[in-house]
Amino acid sequence: MSALAAPVPMAVAAPRRRLPVWWMILPALILLGCFLLLPYASILVMSFREASTNAVYGPGLTLGHYGEIVTDGFVWGIVWRTLRTGLIVTVATLLLGYPVAYHLARSRSRWASLLYICVISPLLVGLVVRTFAWLIILSNSGLANTALKWAGLIGRPIIFLNSSLGVTIALIHVFLPFVILPLLGNLQAINPEVAMAARSLGASRARTFFKVTLPLSMPGIQAGAILVFVLSISAYVTPAMLGGSQGRTMAVLVVQYLVDNFRWPAGAALAIFMAAITVSIIFVYLKLTARAMRRLP
Amino acid sequence: MTMRKTLWDHVFTLIVTLIYIFLMAPILLVVLLSFSGGEFLALPMQGVSLRWFGALFTNSRFYDAAVYSFVLALISAAVNGVIGTLAAIYVVRFAPTRFANGLRVLMSAPLMVPEILTAIALLFFFFEIGIGNRWSIAIQVGHILVTFPYVFLNVASALFNFDRSQEEAARSLGADGWLTFRRITLPSIKPGVITGCLFAFVISFDIFNISLLLKSVGSNTLPLELFDYLRFNFDPTAAAVATVSIVIAFAAVLVVDRTVGLRSLRF
Repeated sequence: MSALAAPVPMAVAAPRRRLPVWWMILPALILLGCFLLLPYASILVMSFREASTNAVYGPGLTLGHYGEIVTDGFVWGIVWRTLRTGLIVTVATLLLGYPVAYHLARSRSRWASLLYICVISPLLVGLVVRTFAWLIILSNSGLANTALKWAGLIGRPIIFLNSSLGVTIALIHVFLPFVILPLLGNLQAINPEVAMAARSLGASRARTFFKVTLPLSMPGIQAGAILVFVLSISAYVTPAMLGGSQGRTMAVLVVQYLVDNFRWPAGAALAIFMAAITVSIIFVYLKLTARAMRRLP
Repeated sequence: MTMRKTLWDHVFTLIVTLIYIFLMAPILLVVLLSFSGGEFLALPMQGVSLRWFGALFTNSRFYDAAVYSFVLALISAAVNGVIGTLAAIYVVRFAPTRFANGLRVLMSAPLMVPEILTAIALLFFFFEIGIGNRWSIAIQVGHILVTFPYVFLNVASALFNFDRSQEEAARSLGADGWLTFRRITLPSIKPGVITGCLFAFVISFDIFNISLLLKSVGSNTLPLELFDYLRFNFDPTAAAVATVSIVIAFAAVLVVDRTVGLRSLRF
């Protein structure tokens, strides 16, 4: 590399510019500092404020909201339901997403571009619209029940809505692209010659897949899984539209505290509680998967 | 690879086809039902008509909401087009090595934290500083914040892939820094900027949680209006609204595909 390849600070080099070069990052830092970091700190502050009947919050500070939350069986019930839904959605999206990513990564056909659009377009269609589609499909007299009844599989309609079942199905659909895309990037980066070498050395296709391709795609699986898990346990729109009171999740409960009951300090504490659970799960997950990945060949 | 197709290949193709159908069918269903001639959101459709779209354009609630969403999205895309691009140039080109990674994480942070938490955080923050939900400030800031990483990441990846030797050539031929930037760097990263802005626009148009908690009284975004409508109504008008927003999203994808290629997208 020539000496010129060293970064040339362009804006500084220009003689008419007296500004130091970090002016370029300044607007972004203001945006993220003032409107992301400070507001997150304000959730924390709000969660320690006292409740008040005639104002948003009272003058004093208290730890009481946290105490109430961790001793409330109703809250824990919703926490477990949220985590269970998140886990099912994560496993299901991995199982459904892997074949698609694998197929797309190796596709040489002229349809590949169209199939890629199939994968990303759900991301561009708003959450409300996608959930609305599932409202049509899963209602008691909706398409799913009509089709199942017509096929003679069920006598009475399955109750999808106002329960975790419908929420789970819709979330799987909503978050499937989020697991396909990291996997796709990962699978495309794997040199196809590695698998071919295994095949030419006599390994069967199944053995090649399970011993070579799958272990190499573990980083993609790890990234996709955590992304979908976090997204699905913090999802609001889908559980709010499909879950009713029986399929309520943590996010729905928090919004209920804030908007319907106008209990901001308690809602803030609940939000912090939710964030703490999420962060601890990510932490444990990363520790466990890091250990598992070290053991890979 | 030219290998003989085994039974397993056919089974695999079938499974993958079914998953693609699972991905697309719900969206296509909504579009299909918006052309329904009947009163119900059910198949088989009772005839085909455009009357629900007609109902839509005479419905001022949806019209106002669409215009409001459009303005929010346009401002978000424009603001991020400037500050996101500048931030990406700084982080990729000028940031001291010891800060570069931290900055990159910070710049994509709005994508990594749950949107509902960001919405709650901004709700409290704007209340505490006395602005509250007045003048659409809170909601606009929320939209800019959440869509910022899309521009940043797309421009940053365009800069990574850009061949620096062209800049060096321009500089060695006597161009100053600003001229080099305007004539060489900017044209090369333009696809990244366009993709990022389009994405910021589309995502802003769809944002829900931020809008739910930060909206000003009396002005709904299109997703909020649809959400509210579906609480009390369940007819093809909702499908028509959905179809309009799907068409907007797909138009954006088509523009990206025709101008810079879909695979350059960064999420």
